[in-house]
Amino acid sequence: MIEPASLGNFFTIFFTSAMVIMLGALYALLFAFSRLKGDVRLMPLAYISYAGLLISTLFLADAANLLKHPFWTVIVAFMLVGYLLAPHAIWHLCVGTHADEHAEVGPVPLKDF
Amino acid sequence: MATLGMLDSANLNGGQKLAVKYFTVAIMLFGAQVLFGLLSGLQYLYPDFLYGVLDFSVNRMVHINALVVWLLYGFLGSVYWLLEEESQHEVVGLKLGNLIYWVLTAAVTVVVLVYLFVQIGPGKESSIWLINEGREYIEAPRWADIGIVVSVLVVFYNVAATFSKGRYTGIAGVLVLDMLALFGIYLAGMFYTTNISIDQYWWWWVIHLWVEATWEVMVACIMAYGLMKVLGVSRKIVETWLYIEVALMFGSGILGLGHHYFWIGTPEYWFSIGGFFSALEPIPLVAMVVHAVFDAGARHAKNSNHPAMAWLIAHAFGNFFGAGVWGFMHTLPQINLYTHGTQWSASHGHLAFFGAYATIIIAMFYLGIQRWRGGTWMSGDLPSNGWKWKWALGLLNLGMVGMTVAMLVSGYVQSQIERAIEGSSWMGYFAAQIHPWFVQGMWWREVFGVMFLVGFILLVWDLLTIGKGESRAMVSAEAG
Repeated sequence: MIEPASLGNFFTIFFTSAMVIMLGALYALLFAFSRLKGDVRLMPLAYISYAGLLISTLFLADAANLLKHPFWTVIVAFMLVGYLLAPHAIWHLCVGTHADEHAEVGPVPLKDF
Repeated sequence: MATLGMLDSANLNGGQKLAVKYFTVAIMLFGAQVLFGLLSGLQYLYPDFLYGVLDFSVNRMVHINALVVWLLYGFLGSVYWLLEEESQHEVVGLKLGNLIYWVLTAAVTVVVLVYLFVQIGPGKESSIWLINEGREYIEAPRWADIGIVVSVLVVFYNVAATFSKGRYTGIAGVLVLDMLALFGIYLAGMFYTTNISIDQYWWWWVIHLWVEATWEVMVACIMAYGLMKVLGVSRKIVETWLYIEVALMFGSGILGLGHHYFWIGTPEYWFSIGGFFSALEPIPLVAMVVHAVFDAGARHAKNSNHPAMAWLIAHAFGNFFGAGVWGFMHTLPQINLYTHGTQWSASHGHLAFFGAYATIIIAMFYLGIQRWRGGTWMSGDLPSNGWKWKWALGLLNLGMVGMTVAMLVSGYVQSQIERAIEGSSWMGYFAAQIHPWFVQGMWWREVFGVMFLVGFILLVWDLLTIGKGESRAMVSAEAG
């Protein structure tokens, strides 16, 4: 069911795992700022961060022998979809839950999505 | 009538008076945790140090048990703190709550004294009941276990009865159910079985589900209350997010338990369950980033308590890095095989517990002291520029990050030499323990541990003095 990582891949696994979370957060941060400020220039940077996350995930999957087994390959796919969609979903929830405040708040660009 | 700038119990309601008692014991146990941690760390460097007097096994046990109990005290104190304000009703059964506080505190004192004075001896049925249950992290003897369960049941009664007679809010609903789970899940660690796999299976329910489910939900309730108090966020918003957060946490966190079942002799399907949900566990943290940015941009709130706000921010970062980054780095079974139980785990555990729990309880201490001094000013422009809380914040966080990185270095060496090269043999264990990188990591852990201790002393000093003699009243940020 699992194929343990080889010694030579330890660093790759630790580093890419950390990068998955860090780039996931950076993607979310840039995505949210872009929507909040209405600054479309930030959105490509957000997706570049996501691309970095995708590359890190693939390196991680290769180093941890995840792609050799269908089940773990599905987990990798779930992770990538989850990280991609989570900021979109949470943004929708943010706008929805703050709906009553928008009249006072003003600059939140609701039309952007 | 509030007495500004003086510690006056008349400034507090009944629940808050009881909360202050819980907070006081919490801080003392926090200090004990730091001291026994430093002693344990020193014994890594000088294994003969205090050998036969105060053994490593005892120091480590007190270090970890003090952590569990001070956080529990902090949480129970926080629950009592917000109870009357939230329910708009006096605490029902407050006398019983006070009685249980004294009983619990006496019990904790006896348990620690027994740990220290009965360090070795035969393991018998009677020792499980009276001296030490032998379960790592929850070594308290069975009588104390029963005491903890009874105490939590009383808190549950206080909380449920108070909310049922007063205002029943969203925070109330979540809190009542959580207190029930806090009592129920602890029972899983209270029976004895000779099969170590079965024993560990249930033991993890306490360690993982108590800590990563019921505590997390309590943190979410405290955070919701804290955001209303410090930033004036509206109740409707914090309660909606409380539900969302609890759903996300339970969605990934409960079965994330599986990552503890990898190597204890449970069926192979736990690899799949643990791996899948552990991979999803950081997603709520990433989602949190979006919400934080949205809130920061969408509202221009006044901040009525700068130290509390700073610790709430430290909580967000600490939770993200400690639980998220440090957790995910070694959560997949393909690598966890080598890192489980090494200094890697300790590195993750230190940053995650500090970031997710200690920080938010410290924020509650500052909210508490502000009210206790009559709602005194704690925003910008504090006397001496508020250097004590700023230095305490810096030293505690830097000390913790330093310890975490030092243990990461040691754990990396350990996972390679002890686990991957030597195959988890005794020879491998000792080969890793004497490796220069491991030893250097342990040295740096001790150095940063001392820094953490200095930060703790400053924190206590600041809590005792902040707002003293202050004549300005706080600016209320509460939206209602």
